[in-house]
Amino acid sequence: MTEFIVVTSGKGGVGKTTSSASIAVGLARHGKKVAVIDFDVGLRNLDLIMGCERRVVYDFVNVIHQECTLKQALIKDKRYENLHVLAASQTRDKDALTKEGVERVLNELRDEGFDYVVCDSPAGIEKGAFLAMYFADRAIVVVNPEVSSVRDSDRILGLLSSKTRRAETGAAPVVQHLLLTRYNPTRVAAGDMMSIDDVKEILGIEVLGVVPESEGVLAASNAGIPVILDENSNAGHAYDDAVARLLGQDRPMRFLEAPKKGILSRLFGS
Amino acid sequence: MARPLPSFEPVGELKFGQVGIANLRLKSLDEAALAQELRNKLETAPQLFRRAPVVLDLSHLPQLPDEATVRSVLAVIRSSGMLPVGLAYGTSENEALAVALDLPLFAKFRAAYESAAGAIEAAPPAAAAPEPPARATPPPPSAQRGPASLLQTLPVRSGQQVYARGTDLVITAMVGNGAEVIADGSVHVYAALRGKAIAGAQGDASARIYCQDFQAELVSIAGHYRVFEDIPADLRGKPVQVWLEGEKLLLARLGPQQ
Repeated sequence: MTEFIVVTSGKGGVGKTTSSASIAVGLARHGKKVAVIDFDVGLRNLDLIMGCERRVVYDFVNVIHQECTLKQALIKDKRYENLHVLAASQTRDKDALTKEGVERVLNELRDEGFDYVVCDSPAGIEKGAFLAMYFADRAIVVVNPEVSSVRDSDRILGLLSSKTRRAETGAAPVVQHLLLTRYNPTRVAAGDMMSIDDVKEILGIEVLGVVPESEGVLAASNAGIPVILDENSNAGHAYDDAVARLLGQDRPMRFLEAPKKGILSRLFGS
Repeated sequence: MARPLPSFEPVGELKFGQVGIANLRLKSLDEAALAQELRNKLETAPQLFRRAPVVLDLSHLPQLPDEATVRSVLAVIRSSGMLPVGLAYGTSENEALAVALDLPLFAKFRAAYESAAGAIEAAPPAAAAPEPPARATPPPPSAQRGPASLLQTLPVRSGQQVYARGTDLVITAMVGNGAEVIADGSVHVYAALRGKAIAGAQGDASARIYCQDFQAELVSIAGHYRVFEDIPADLRGKPVQVWLEGEKLLLARLGPQQ
């Protein structure tokens, strides 16, 4: 049974693509057969984060327009052979996507025996974002602990429960999770940033994971290595926890407290 | 002799702005009845109607009256205490009439008026809850009121709108910032109310708003509204009810005060 997971947020720049890449890698690392699709046609980024940008020959739009086969467009990851990337087209726009075309590609992935298809949504609530979420079984709403991101996420949650195939056909609703990213416990303690409890209370759904703000994320993005593979980064560990929870494992939340400063760093500054 | 310097300041400054203006939609040409109706209006709310500008809308009459008749209708309005300032947009004959009377036509005005009214009519129950569970013996449908209430069990999220037409709205989940919950009757929210709540949307002044956790952006009953830039500390997060007393919108905590 293939599960379609949309990674979405409404607001831009909160970490959708970073999260999509790490979740896809995490699922593959657990032995699942995974495809990750970039729905951000015209502003493609996922291939960069996944480190396969120089191997894109055919893209998602080519497959939708039947200019190539799905097999030709799927880029096999160098690290995990059960992980595949379907890049967005950089030269087209969102109108190149059609509901029928997306459905056909997703059905084909299901027929190929993929366990998970991760759909990396563009920002906004227009066509690209709509099609990324339309067929979803599960949604991971990426949210930063600040008011505008929380409000946009609320909007997206509303759309997930009304504008998806599951909502329209009256099937079981899309399973919804929150993924808090760029969480900075020090700033939360100082009252500058919303806490996980604030966000949970406003949005009223369960939190899949909390990814701390980390320098490792930027470095990983620039290197084309999803941050989940960085053993020295808290963000990587947090994504690993989130993926384990997605697969039903019980892991305690980490990185919610500000790190205590040792005597040396207190003396010499951090 | 020194000539005054030419002034570059214009004598008059033209500005466009939106103004609130009454629209009198005439349905018959019974002048005596019209005079009586307008007098009654003026007596009930003199501050609102005395010397209030009025746009006369002739589009709902069976046929367009002639110039003399309209002049006499305008006189009736004027004698009631209101000030007719123009005609609402209509057919080309209507336009000719306006020219003959030397009155402006309010073109945009009627269009805006109608689309606003239409929007309320068409307010889609965007995230309407599943129909309330069917009762064993449904009560006989009444001509005036529909079901006892509309039940919404899912959260109403930012950008969503739920409208209970002709009845109360009962919500058992939270209402987010930027969401709107609207009822022709009362609005009950058994959770946090962070968005806008509008009760008595068709003008029922006895409608009320109840919520368990008050953090609303706006509350409105029968068109009387209040926005909350800052939520009063004694009401924030508390169970609150909102009701209308005369022209005043009142808020108070519900239940025990401690």
